[in-house]
Amino acid sequence: MDYLRFAFQATTVAFLLGGFWTVAALHAAKESPATISISPEKVADYIHAILEADRTFYTSHIVNRLQEKGILASTEHWEQDNTLPLPAQFLQHSGRIVAESGRGIRYRLIGFSPIYQRNAPATEFERKALDVLRRQPDRPVTGIVSSGKKRYFQAIYSDRAVSSACVTCHNSHPLSPKQDFKLDDVMGGIAITIPLE
Amino acid sequence: MTTTPTSSPAGARWGLKTKVILSMLLVGIIPLVVGLGMAFWQGSQEIREISGESFEALATEAARKLDLLVVEEISHTARIAHDPTIIRELERRRDASRDPKRSTSALADLEQRWTERDPAAIESLTENTLSALLHEYYAGVYSPPGQLLPQVVRASTKMLFLTDVQGVLVATMTDHPAFRHNDTPWWQGAFNKAVGKLYIEDIRFDDRVNTYVFTISLPIMDSLRYEAVGVLHHVIDAKEFFSPSTHAIRFGKTGHVMLIDSSGIVISCPILPTGVPLSDRNLTPLVTPQHHGWVEASSDGHGGQSTSVIGFAPLPETSRATNGSIDNGSWHTFVWQSSDELFAPIQHLLTWVMVFGAVAIMLLVSLGYVAAGRIVTPVRQLQQAAQAIGRGELQTPIQIHTGDELEDLAREFTRMNAQLKAAFAGLTDQVKLKTQEVQVLQQSTDQILDAVPTPILLIDAHHVVRYINQATREAFAIQEPLSNASLFSILSLDQDVQKQLQAEFQMNGNTAATMPDIERQTVPRDPLQPHTDHEPAGHRSELTIGSRIYHYQWFRLPTKLGEEDSIGLVLRDITDESRLQDKLVQAEKMGSLGVLTAGIGHELNNPLFGIIGLGEILQDEQDLEHMRSCARDIVAHGRRMATIIRDFTGVTDREASDTPVSVPVEEVLDKALATAQTSVDMKDIVIHKTYAGNTPVSVLPDQLRQAFVNLLTNAAHAMKGTGTLTLSTVVSNHTVTTTIADSGPGISKQHLTKVFDPFFTTKEQGEGSGLGLTVARRIVRKFGGDIRIECVEDRGAACHVMLPINTSTSSTGDPWTTSASRSKPQPSHSS
Repeated sequence: MDYLRFAFQATTVAFLLGGFWTVAALHAAKESPATISISPEKVADYIHAILEADRTFYTSHIVNRLQEKGILASTEHWEQDNTLPLPAQFLQHSGRIVAESGRGIRYRLIGFSPIYQRNAPATEFERKALDVLRRQPDRPVTGIVSSGKKRYFQAIYSDRAVSSACVTCHNSHPLSPKQDFKLDDVMGGIAITIPLE
Repeated sequence: MTTTPTSSPAGARWGLKTKVILSMLLVGIIPLVVGLGMAFWQGSQEIREISGESFEALATEAARKLDLLVVEEISHTARIAHDPTIIRELERRRDASRDPKRSTSALADLEQRWTERDPAAIESLTENTLSALLHEYYAGVYSPPGQLLPQVVRASTKMLFLTDVQGVLVATMTDHPAFRHNDTPWWQGAFNKAVGKLYIEDIRFDDRVNTYVFTISLPIMDSLRYEAVGVLHHVIDAKEFFSPSTHAIRFGKTGHVMLIDSSGIVISCPILPTGVPLSDRNLTPLVTPQHHGWVEASSDGHGGQSTSVIGFAPLPETSRATNGSIDNGSWHTFVWQSSDELFAPIQHLLTWVMVFGAVAIMLLVSLGYVAAGRIVTPVRQLQQAAQAIGRGELQTPIQIHTGDELEDLAREFTRMNAQLKAAFAGLTDQVKLKTQEVQVLQQSTDQILDAVPTPILLIDAHHVVRYINQATREAFAIQEPLSNASLFSILSLDQDVQKQLQAEFQMNGNTAATMPDIERQTVPRDPLQPHTDHEPAGHRSELTIGSRIYHYQWFRLPTKLGEEDSIGLVLRDITDESRLQDKLVQAEKMGSLGVLTAGIGHELNNPLFGIIGLGEILQDEQDLEHMRSCARDIVAHGRRMATIIRDFTGVTDREASDTPVSVPVEEVLDKALATAQTSVDMKDIVIHKTYAGNTPVSVLPDQLRQAFVNLLTNAAHAMKGTGTLTLSTVVSNHTVTTTIADSGPGISKQHLTKVFDPFFTTKEQGEGSGLGLTVARRIVRKFGGDIRIECVEDRGAACHVMLPINTSTSSTGDPWTTSASRSKPQPSHSS
């Protein structure tokens, strides 16, 4: 159990450090545009790479291994069941921690057929981006969006069913509107939002 | 046969019948009680487990249902939060709040007016566009077709209002809310640093709506879902919201489902009012873990203290958002049924089993009574038959027809009775025969005893004479038959003699005078022997009755077991014998005195005549030398006379010491031989010596030498000057035997018994005093030894002197005392 907790914490810390570094680099780039210039596309790309790597590692080397050995499963109600969070929850919860840190950068998962409506695409841009990604999942959809007077850079990357845990959960959950997902299907996207002021 | 109380002589004793009934009862009751107890225990356990598992399942199901109810309400509320109009307005307010040129006075003014309940201010917040939207949502205008808000949800909503990014009231359905909310936990929890999070507030009493409520606070995210721009707050009456769901679930009379929060406060319960805590605080941690289960608790949470089975389960989704996170609180279902009702079936079963048990016990008692009667009645018959056999009264066969072992036993009893009777009949005949034999024996004994001339009396322990024979009747002239006559009424005796006889009688007839005194009297007493023997002081077993003297003797007569022994008394008339004996003794004494006088006279006469003759010579003698010679002769004769007198009296007290000393017996013998050779002519006598060595004896040497001299002198005299004298010492078993054997004519048999008598001599008158052997024996006996004379006629006499060896010195390792030296004596010759 301690090993698991340590692994999870280590992963979280690694991710946080990665995120921090990225944000710090972004700020640095903003403060001295004359000397160092880095595009939001690049920043989003870096962040997406870290997110992918962290979640893949968590999925394959923690969740899958422990589940295969029958030591510990990953379930939706992991707090009550005293189990591991699902890989999707791992990403969502770490995203919440990043958001709560107040750095401005945010990311979240959006799905074509989400179990909970809060994870549905929120804007027209997101909906269209998902449609694009369904056809061309290999490239992210990027753009500038605004909320009131606020403007943000948003990059949406396609997100696949990386492990059987994702497929099983979405296909069996009573609230899931679509229950015929297969492994490696594009289930939705990761939306990374970076404020532009 | 009747059942008489003879079968149980002691009142406290339990009869066989009672025991049989009790045994059957115990055999029946113990398994019944044990089985009943086990069934009850097992049944209770199973009911507990089954109920627990059922309650757990029910609690889980109820939790899922209530959770869905809350989630549904959240999603209803969330629909408002997603309304683009609201989002746009709140985005505008957010942007406005960040405008540095914005004045805050208008807001403060509005707040003051709202607080003062200014109708215009109230209208501005309750009647604006957004509040109209809230009303529309509440009315179900925007619900999908067929999904109208349920009436119950609508009724339970107590407040629904919006705040902006600063926690300021933007729109509300009612005029209850406060104006600013940015300091409330729910607002901070839902806004969550602009990240936004679902926040369900635990149950609390709300003063504004005057009821127990829980609240759902949803962040209103901007159009990008990037950040929270406001909070939608929904205040719900807990009881109204949950009661349709919880109150519907009832089972039995008391079984129900309730909803509590993690601190044990009741959110909804059909029995307890909302907002009160569980009656037992200790129960709360048992029923609020983060997993479902059931527990057997010592109280029921509803005020009862009986053991209760409680099922519980958390509301998963709701708990996750309670007070911001699952760590801050959670909601749980609680399923319970009263123990009385729960265990009613087993109680019912127990009652019935007890009723059946009581019936079974009654049956057992009845059956036991019948069975015991069947067993006990023949046993009692047998017992009475055995008693009749014991008294010898059983005449008829025992009538038992049970067809089992008891019948066999009765048959055996009957047969045994017949055999006993036969045996007794034989015994009676034998007793008659034996009695006749005894009578014959008694008669013959009486006749034998009557034929004996000696009086015989049988006396019992109380001096009463039981039997006397004919001789007694004649001797004491008894005519009339005996009737408890005492011994002394028959024998007329002196008081002293009576006492002595009584003493002897007390000692059971062990008379001190059982030794034959008469025999002793036949031997003349040694007049030289001092009165130092332990001779009884003149007591004899003799009675003088009338003119007759009787020797009496007691004898014991064994009698029957348990009675004291009889003592028999035999009297023998020794009147004539006694007189004859006295005369003989007198004659012997007189004879001895005559011999003594003659011997003394003769011994003294010779030197006396010599002295007289020498005296006459001296009267006429002139020659001095001759006179002196005569005087020396007179002195010699005088000394001889003194020696004779000394010999007679046996005075040998001239010893230097009268303490015995240890000397070798051979040395004493050699000295005695030398002494004897000076007085007796032994020139032609051959002397053989065979000594065992130097054997020490503890004696007075002069006295022992005197004894040896006497013996050697006797031997020399017997051989009359020629022959062989053999001297030898032999050691055997602590005793040294010195033998002095001569080759003379020996001693005739008639003399042999008298050689130790004083004054007995075979020598001529004047040759010997007849005291030599007497003195020698006295000396040897004094030293613990003895003298024995063996004699083979015509082949000489041998005198053996036995003396004890002085072991205190012989143990010093004298080689002559070894057994080898004894078996091979060393002969030595001397002329």
